[in-house]
Parts: sequence; C-alpha cells; structure tokens
Amino acid sequence: MSRFLVERDGQTRVRLSEGMELTKSQSVLAVLGLVVLFAVPDITRLTSLSFQAIHRGILFGLAAVGLNLLLRHTELVSFGHAAFFGVGAYGAAVLASHFDVSSGLLLLVGSVLASTAIAVLIGYFVAGYLDIYFALLTLAFNQVLYAFVLQSGYFNYSDGLSVRPDGLNPPTLFGLQWTSSGYDLILYYFTVVVLVVSLLAMWKLVNSPFGRALDAIGQDRTRARFVGIPVEKYVWIAFAISGVYGGLAGGLFALLQLHVSPEPTLYAFVSGEILFMAILGGFGTLVGPVIGGVVLVYLLIQAPFYVEYYNALTGLVLIAVVLFLPEGILGSIPKIGTGLARRRSDPGLLREDVATVGSSLRRGVSRAVTTVRIIVFGVN
Amino acid sequence: MLEARDLRKEFGELRATDDVSLEFGKTDGEMVFIVGPNGAGKTTLINLLTGLLEPDQGSVVVHGEENGAPVEDDITGMAPEERVRRGLVRSFQIVHVFEEMTVRENLRVAVLSRYDKTLSMRSVDDSHEEVETEIDGLLERFRLTDVQDEVAETLPHGDRKLLDVAMSFGLDPTYLLLDEPTAGVATREKEYVIETIVEASEADGVTTVTIEHDMDLVKEYADRLVVLHEGAVFREGDPSLLETDSELRRVLLGVNE
Repeated sequence: MSRFLVERDGQTRVRLSEGMELTKSQSVLAVLGLVVLFAVPDITRLTSLSFQAIHRGILFGLAAVGLNLLLRHTELVSFGHAAFFGVGAYGAAVLASHFDVSSGLLLLVGSVLASTAIAVLIGYFVAGYLDIYFALLTLAFNQVLYAFVLQSGYFNYSDGLSVRPDGLNPPTLFGLQWTSSGYDLILYYFTVVVLVVSLLAMWKLVNSPFGRALDAIGQDRTRARFVGIPVEKYVWIAFAISGVYGGLAGGLFALLQLHVSPEPTLYAFVSGEILFMAILGGFGTLVGPVIGGVVLVYLLIQAPFYVEYYNALTGLVLIAVVLFLPEGILGSIPKIGTGLARRRSDPGLLREDVATVGSSLRRGVSRAVTTVRIIVFGVN
Repeated sequence: MLEARDLRKEFGELRATDDVSLEFGKTDGEMVFIVGPNGAGKTTLINLLTGLLEPDQGSVVVHGEENGAPVEDDITGMAPEERVRRGLVRSFQIVHVFEEMTVRENLRVAVLSRYDKTLSMRSVDDSHEEVETEIDGLLERFRLTDVQDEVAETLPHGDRKLLDVAMSFGLDPTYLLLDEPTAGVATREKEYVIETIVEASEADGVTTVTIEHDMDLVKEYADRLVVLHEGAVFREGDPSLLETDSELRRVLLGVNE
C-alpha cells in the first residue's frame, strides 16, 4: 500500500491526509466533480447552459456550505444567512466605490473581515438560543441589516453600489486589468479554487474533535454541557465560521456582478433560499449544499424564460424534495445506488415495487371514491 | 470535600430544597446514597450541586488544599462545564447520551473534553492515542466493547444506562453524582453497575453521591446514608438506620410498624 491508499474495515480508501479518507466511489465522484467544475466554461460554451448562472449558483452554494455547519452539526436552523452574504458583498462594494480599492483580492479581504465582524456580533446574541427562537432571531438580525442598508445613503438605498473602482472597469485580479470575458473566466477559476479549499477546510473541521463537539451540542445540549463543553462559546465560534463562508461567497458575488444591491444579497428571502439549497443538495453531506446552490440558482434564473409562475416552481421543488428526497440530491445517491444494485441482482424486488405502487394507487382511488360518496351522498 | 451550605430552591409555592446542608467526601472515595420518597427533592439537590439549577439561597463549596492549607472554593453560580473541569461530574436519571453517535464516539467526546482537546483541529480518527487507549479501558470496564460501533439510540436500555455512566467516568471525576444509575437496568445488571462504581471510586478515590431506590443495594454498598423528605434532610448516618429507625421506614416505605 502506498501512503495514499489505506485499508479500513476491509475497504480500500484513498487517503488525502490524516483522517481525510474517501471510499473508492467517493473518490470517483470527487474527481468527476472536479473535472466538471474545471470544464464548466467549455461546457457552457458548447451548450446553451448559462455560465453566469452556474457561477452564481456555486457562490450561493458556498454560503450554504457555511450554513450547513450549523444545520448539520449543531442542528440549528439559521434563517439569516443572507446577512453574511450581503455584508460580504457590501464589504467589497464599499471598498470599491467609496475607497477606490481596485485590487479584487483586497476587496475580498474586506468582504471576509466585514462578514466575520457581523457574524461574531450576531453570534454573540443568538448562541444561547435554540430551535424556533434561534431561527427567528437570525431572521430578525437579517431584516434589521436589510432595512438599515435600504434606508442608508452611504449604501445608496435600494439602487446599491457599483463594484467598479474607477466607475468603468472591473477590479484587477492578480494585479492585472482583464477584458470582460477574461475577467469572468479568471474569476470563475478563482472561485473554483476558493470552493475546493473551503470544502477541504470544512471537511477537516467537521472531522476534528471540535466538529465532534459541535455534533454533541446538536444531539444533546445538556449532555454536552455536562461533559464539559462550553456550549454557547462553541456555537458562537461555529456561527462565526459559518458567517465567514457566507461573506467569502458574498464578496465573490460582488466581484462577479460588479454591482451590489440589497434585494438579491441581503433580503431575508435570500436567507430562505440559502437554507433551501442545503436541504435540496443534501444537508447530511459536505458537498450537497453546493449542488443545491447550483440547481436552485439555475432554476430561479432560467425558469422565468419557460414558465409564467416561476416563483411557484421553487415551492413545488421544495415540496417534492421534502416528500421524495428528504436527504437531498447528493444524500440520496447512496440509497438509490444500493437500491438499484439490489434490484439488478434480484429482479423479484422490482416486481414487488410495481405491486407496491399498484396497491397504493388502488388504495388512493378507493379512498377518493369514499370521500366523494360522503360529500355527494352524505354517507359512504 | 463537596459541601452544600444552606441550599434552598423554590418552584412557586413548593420548596423543593429546604435549607439543606450536607458534606460529601469526608473520607476519600466515600459512597453516599441519597434516598427518599418521590418528590423528596433528591434530583433537585443534584441539579443544584452540578449547576443545572441555581439555588435561591445558600452556596455550593468545594474544599481543597493548597500548600498544606485548606482552601474553600465557592462554585455557586458557576457554569456546569466549569464544574466538570473541577471534577464535579454527573449522570442523569433519564439517559442523556449523544443518540446519533456510536458508543465509542460518545465516549470519545467525553474523553477528548476531559483532555481539553475539543478545540483541536487534528483528525479524531487517527491522532490522540492516549484518548483511544482510555476509551478501550472504559469499554472493557463497562462491558461495552462488543457494542462499541453500535449507534447509541439503537442500544437496549441497560447498555444506554451503562454508556451514560461510562461517559461520566471518562471525565475522571473527583465527585460523581449519579441520579438513579440502576433505574431500568435489568436486575442481574444492577449489581454490576453498582459494583463498577464502587471499584472505580475505591481505585481513584472518587466520592460518589448516588440516588437509589433499591434498598438492598443501599444497605450493601453505602458508607453513609442521606434521607431527604419534603426537601429537607430527614436523616443522615449509617445505612443500618434503614433497619432500626421505624419512623424512617414509615417515611420511606410507607410501612407502619
């Protein structure tokens, strides 16, 4: 065995570093994912897919990865993550339009610093709360920020701020001024690098003792306290880390859009979407939120071209996910995989499936008939 | 030594703890059993000592020694996790374990916390060898080795109870407060749980304060008996009181003699 392959529980695993191992199928998926990520510019050029929409989806997905630290591990539902995304975006925009900072990287540093500060502040107030109180408090802080930015001349009200430092050109990336299409491409690859590094960092974090402590807090807060874990402090730290992810995503979003306004970045509705992305992609997984982000953003951007009631579409997708894919897109893959494998080796199972569907259909019909009879005749 | 000093706690009209003053651990590894009828304030007393509740009046004091001189450390108002770091550990009447983790992972959280490693970013699986060795020891002591990879919520009740107690031991307690460690445990296992607690308390000089309803166990293992009744200390002394004190028997068992 080389140092990159280890045996564990009778399985060969690919080992990236201490404690970071992938099963064979996970490695294949990871490599495939990376290839697709790097090929997105080419894929979109060859097909009718929208490059911008995918890029935006990845950024919201990155914010959802941050939110998922709270959702999956401390089991806290944040309805206010747009606060960090928005503050991150505005952090970059303020530096660009008020302070003429032209370096894209410096703008991002501003994003991260601003969102961290806000996350530390909000986290201080919400870390002691649970369940609905936590959700409502995060939502409330989000709304306060939104209202403040909307009313403030410094942030140019609902029109927002430009991220073109000289009023004309986009910020420089790596010290160079790029043409429009070159800028988009460089920014995309930079986003991919940030995404991969962020995912690796999150992976490391959730598999560390700190990650276990967060799991413990999520599963039984009282017990966590009584094994000596300072619960509020750890939730606070997790909240801040989660905010950094949101801010980083928001900063990159500002660089991509070159204009930041309150509605698409700070509005509480965006918080709901970030939460939904995590659930859609599979909040029990590390990478799921990214997939959820890409799918949902793509849907939201493209749907208006195809259907009239496109807002209802999000709702329908949410209902469908909760009913049929409660573990999300990525979370359901292993189940579907084993299900298919079992059916391939045992065709009898497939017949049973058909029988199950048939009998549940019959039950549904007979129930409907009964209901109609009661409504029409007053008795069954 | 752990001292409850004039502790009082009221819930509305009810005085659940009525000026209780007690000392635990007068000798090393002392086993104190708290008994009393339902509603006597046994769990409330443990909650007050461990910081799950704060008293309306009175204080919780840990007596120690520094450079040969006795020192008093008033821990009233201190957070539970701080008290755990001072060796004040508890288990719960209703099992509190991390339900979605395996037995081993449950113990790992406790032992990592005790080694002050919960902020570490090193992988949990490979590093921290001393932690894993210690977990092996705990698994063996509590006969949980065979189920170490089972998820806690799928375990039978007896094993869950053992896990709860094992986690407490993983925290290397000086004072261990056990709220009915044998409740719901199969009769043949009861003896074993108490036996383990006795062994550990003797080996490490752990002072244990145990709420127990099984009087046979109390008689067999108690160094000292505390009887609570309507929130107050009703009797304190040798477990033989259970045989000799008829008023006590009446309060405790509803037996009229």
